Amino acid sequence: MNSEIVELSNGRRWQVYTGGEGPDILWLHGLRGVDLADPVLAALQKSYRITAPVAPGFNDLDELARIDNIHELALDYDDLLDRLGLAGFSMIGHSFGAMIAAEIAAHFPGRAERMVLLAPFGLWNDVYPVADIFAMPYTQMDDILWHDQPARERFAPKVVPSSDPKEAAAQMVKLAGSLTAVTKFVWPIPDRGLRRRLSRIACPTLVLFGAEDKVVSPRYADDFRAGLRHGETEIVPGAGHMLPYEKTTRVLELTERFLEATPLPVA
Amino acid sequence: MKFHFFHLMPYPELPSDFRETNRSVWVDVPSKLFDPAVGHRAYNDYLDELEYAAEIGFDGICVNEHHQNAYGLMPSPNLMAAALARRTSGVKLILMGNSVALYNPPTRVAEEMAMLDVMSGGRLVAGFPVGTPMDTTYCYGQSPAILREKYREGVDLILRAWTEPEVFSFNGKYTQLRYVNIWPRPMQKPRPPVWVPGGASVETWDLCLDNDFLYANLSYFGYQEGQKILDLFWQQVEKRKMPKNPYRAGFLQFIAVAEDDAEAERLYAEPALYFYRRCLHVYPGYVNPPGYMSMATIKAGIEGQVSRITNRAGARAEMATLSWKDLVERGYLVAGSPATVADRINDMADKLNVGHLMTLLHFGNMSKETTLYNTRMFAEKVIPRLRSRFSEWDDNWFPREAPVQADAPSLKREPVPAK
Repeated sequence: MNSEIVELSNGRRWQVYTGGEGPDILWLHGLRGVDLADPVLAALQKSYRITAPVAPGFNDLDELARIDNIHELALDYDDLLDRLGLAGFSMIGHSFGAMIAAEIAAHFPGRAERMVLLAPFGLWNDVYPVADIFAMPYTQMDDILWHDQPARERFAPKVVPSSDPKEAAAQMVKLAGSLTAVTKFVWPIPDRGLRRRLSRIACPTLVLFGAEDKVVSPRYADDFRAGLRHGETEIVPGAGHMLPYEKTTRVLELTERFLEATPLPVA
Repeated sequence: MKFHFFHLMPYPELPSDFRETNRSVWVDVPSKLFDPAVGHRAYNDYLDELEYAAEIGFDGICVNEHHQNAYGLMPSPNLMAAALARRTSGVKLILMGNSVALYNPPTRVAEEMAMLDVMSGGRLVAGFPVGTPMDTTYCYGQSPAILREKYREGVDLILRAWTEPEVFSFNGKYTQLRYVNIWPRPMQKPRPPVWVPGGASVETWDLCLDNDFLYANLSYFGYQEGQKILDLFWQQVEKRKMPKNPYRAGFLQFIAVAEDDAEAERLYAEPALYFYRRCLHVYPGYVNPPGYMSMATIKAGIEGQVSRITNRAGARAEMATLSWKDLVERGYLVAGSPATVADRINDMADKLNVGHLMTLLHFGNMSKETTLYNTRMFAEKVIPRLRSRFSEWDDNWFPREAPVQADAPSLKREPVPAK
């Protein structure tokens, strides 16, 4: 994918990846930034034009200084979409990125035509609380993110406790930086009121969860469906929180069928 | 040199297999382990010990704030300081302190500290820690991404609330107040001295030096480890071409005084191991949430910082295996006869250049009797050997003597006759 720096009128600079040809998709990455090795992201570029911005704070935490809450974050994405001139597009988000996608759609219901949420953060249910991925050593986080071990072997970034202090520091800065950006919007509980806004979302929405997701329980599919006006849900067997990596074919099949076949609601 | 008696107030009856059967002493420590009767006795013993230290000649007595843990039973150190204010005179009350970002609005901190300063007749030292990650981010739910910014804003508000003579409005990012006008106002003018207990952080040092706060390093790993951090602090002081006044810095040290080494081991080994094995048993997942350590700190001294943290994590894991001998040899504890202890503290004063020594003479499950013995030995046989250290410097970070007028009624201790 190509990477460019886009500057908004408010002075904020965004790194944006683009790639592929076809109808537009806005891709909102998960916990570890835009991952060019993500097999779903790679496959979609065969039939779609993907635009994948790097979420504020992931490259530089100072970017968050002017974004105090989820509403200002949604506004920033709205400015970015204006600047990119994207219209008539679909949104796909994974994990933290799916929470952002849902918030963009709730704040600006006219923006996206269709939306796919993969293992979205954003809701809270006392009966099946979202796991606290920040209350564990970084090196153990992958244990609950992944279910499929071969996929984990292949795709999870190797966190090797390095004896080289320079390398250890670089690893830590990268991990701590992106996760810090996430904590601004999900700490201590990943609920910023999305449940009250779900009904504002105008576009048809497909919510996918891995059946074995130990971070956000697949039972949240019910909560999303209950709040969305045009929501459908699907549980993907054999996948955890990292379902695009773990059950790539199934996720692609469900996503493409939804994007191509779902009729738009009558205005 | 000044000497302070610091109490952590640990829960004294954790089971001997605590480490093996529980994940953490902090955040999610099981409530079934807390017996209120044990807590009742502990609080009263601990207050007695602090009062004893005040009577026997310590300059200050220190209390601090922690939440949801068996390591220290003081969610509100202000309550302890209030109790001590009424039962002591002369000694300074070092409140080490209130984690400013946890209070909404932070003027609550300004108010309570002003109350303590007025009640005590101007004896308060006001501590402003950021707070441990366990306390602030896990127990009190603050996002590590904003914790420091919120803390800084709160400190700014408190200082203004103490010192500005007129009602003012405060339009902060985290606190908006139309009318700031606290009552009472602190007795000390322009404000009580401020101490900032902290680890190794560039921001903390800048905050202290910008505002003339004392920097206190609270370490459980002794002064050899502490020297690495104090060296970095004094480098910052030198960079600003400020005098290296030792009273600008404080350091915490475990101390165990006895007639000789053998008696020290007999009296203090068990409580020391209780502390290092049980009280420090914190689940590693609660120690370093993303964002707690600031990017500026990581970027500033990147390799050194990281290796230090790695080493410390290693030290924590290793804690269970350390013996009394290891603890003493590594200097985590300064232990032995009064002459030995005085020598070591002299060495510490040379190497760290700290004018304020916070002594931990109670630790772990030490009995009251042993604590009073340790406290008396230190006060009578160690302090006199060290008292004149740094006497060439002015201490501008401590309450002045006797700010209260002689006829202040609150200092009378006689019972009021019944009518």
